[in-house]
Amino acid sequence: MSHFGWIDGGIVGLYLLATMAAGFAVRRYVGKVEDFLLAGREMDVHLGIASLAATEFGIVTCMYAAESGYRYGFSGSVPGILMAVSMFVVGWTGFCVKPLREAGVMTLPELFERRFGAGVRRASGVVIVLGGLLNMGVFLRMGGEFLMTVVGLGATAAGGESWAASHRLELTMSALLLMVAVYTIVGGMLSVLVTDFLQFVVMSVGLVVVTWLLLAKVGFAALAQTVEAKLGAGGFNPLANPEMGWPYLFFNAFFTLGTVLTWQTMLQRVMAAKDASTGRRIYVGTAFFFVCRFLIPGLWGIAALHALGAGAPGVTSLSAMPTWLAGFLPVGLMGLLIAAMLAADMSTDSSYMLTWTSVIYNDVIAPWRRPGWTERKGLLLNRLLVAAIGVFLLFYGLWYPLGSDLWTYLGVTAAIYLASMSTLLVACCYWRRATPRGAAAAIVVGAAFPIAYLVLQQVAPSVSAGIGPYWSGILAYVGAALAMVVGSLTQEAA
Amino acid sequence: MSLARAFWWLLAWACLVWYSTLTVYVAWKGVRDIRRMLDELRRRS
Repeated sequence: MSHFGWIDGGIVGLYLLATMAAGFAVRRYVGKVEDFLLAGREMDVHLGIASLAATEFGIVTCMYAAESGYRYGFSGSVPGILMAVSMFVVGWTGFCVKPLREAGVMTLPELFERRFGAGVRRASGVVIVLGGLLNMGVFLRMGGEFLMTVVGLGATAAGGESWAASHRLELTMSALLLMVAVYTIVGGMLSVLVTDFLQFVVMSVGLVVVTWLLLAKVGFAALAQTVEAKLGAGGFNPLANPEMGWPYLFFNAFFTLGTVLTWQTMLQRVMAAKDASTGRRIYVGTAFFFVCRFLIPGLWGIAALHALGAGAPGVTSLSAMPTWLAGFLPVGLMGLLIAAMLAADMSTDSSYMLTWTSVIYNDVIAPWRRPGWTERKGLLLNRLLVAAIGVFLLFYGLWYPLGSDLWTYLGVTAAIYLASMSTLLVACCYWRRATPRGAAAAIVVGAAFPIAYLVLQQVAPSVSAGIGPYWSGILAYVGAALAMVVGSLTQEAA
Repeated sequence: MSLARAFWWLLAWACLVWYSTLTVYVAWKGVRDIRRMLDELRRRS
């Protein structure tokens, strides 16, 4: 039974109004494409930390981190620690991000062109956009299911209801996407940064208050006892968990480092920073947030395990956390939580739409752009691209039912992109012997392993189960690096 | 309390305290960053 009331509705309405007003207020500062995509490269450290944190925490993140807590206990938060270490080391040393920002490029593929040629730039752009858009395609539905569960409406309606009532999830998320698309189209990165800032504050207050309440009312000791009773030592230590072990740790180490180095939404904050030093300070300042990003929803997932138990009727590992929240939070706090989660989702959606727009405009359609195009024409095209991505998300991610397993889907789409792009970036910045053939081979091999794993799952499930998702992921990273080395050494350096 | 449990207890409270502090600090300093960014863009246009 949810405690969502009119006070909560008022809080949510106020938040939405403030976001739209902030998004529109900065539209007059957008004069050039660089202003639209990178806020004129005038972003400073604290705004950068707020924007990066808000972008990288969406409802989908909250759902998966909570599911990990529900299934694996505290061990499910280990990827957050690995990601924080990667962020801190990369920010502290400037590994890859310093040369990237100093190159003055708008996107990763633009940097690759300088070293590997126009063909690699376009191929990288296509891989990044494909991986990114397919990955993002499920955000809306996941967000909608969370919101419907916590307000007590359920993901699907019972029979006999009107069309609008039976499609309230789709209608709610369509309206939300429309709001996000409007302010992103109008103000680009400037609107994204200002709304990200507001959304960071609302989201953080919601996350912190709910977690303080959880620890005050339930207590850490009770949560730890539940983990010990239900999951044993494997709930505290991933190496003691038979489903995790060393392959899980190695895969996540590669995965998190690849994300920190090449995930375009993260890099866009480095490129929008006013200089390389600011970009590095944003990474260092945001590093520990990634522990919170996994552990706070992880605690909510453990609380769901504590309150509902494992295998409760009608409750899946994914729906356990929102089901628990619906009954746990009192009136008022429920509104704060919904506003916080809307903030988390809107900031992620707006940043992602703008990011993939920047790669499509800058790298994929670059050959068809005429040299004499005015800034006005460039801005119009960027705005149309944001709108087109919004339409794609609406139909692919919300109105079109996804047929495959969600975990596999997200893992595969991310690995296709991260394995090859991180290899190309490291080679581009630090290996003089790297050649276009090596880069092309890394793109092909980096994509081949995860796709082959997905195909094996369909045609030979016993073989894919023997390999496991972690080994196929590790092979993608190692294979892409080897392909770069072999491909480069078999071609004469320029 | 076992070592593993103590580790997660410490990390959970560190997250809450650090995140609460970061939220207040960034909320305060971020407003200044937004003003400076918009001033700079206004000056350039």
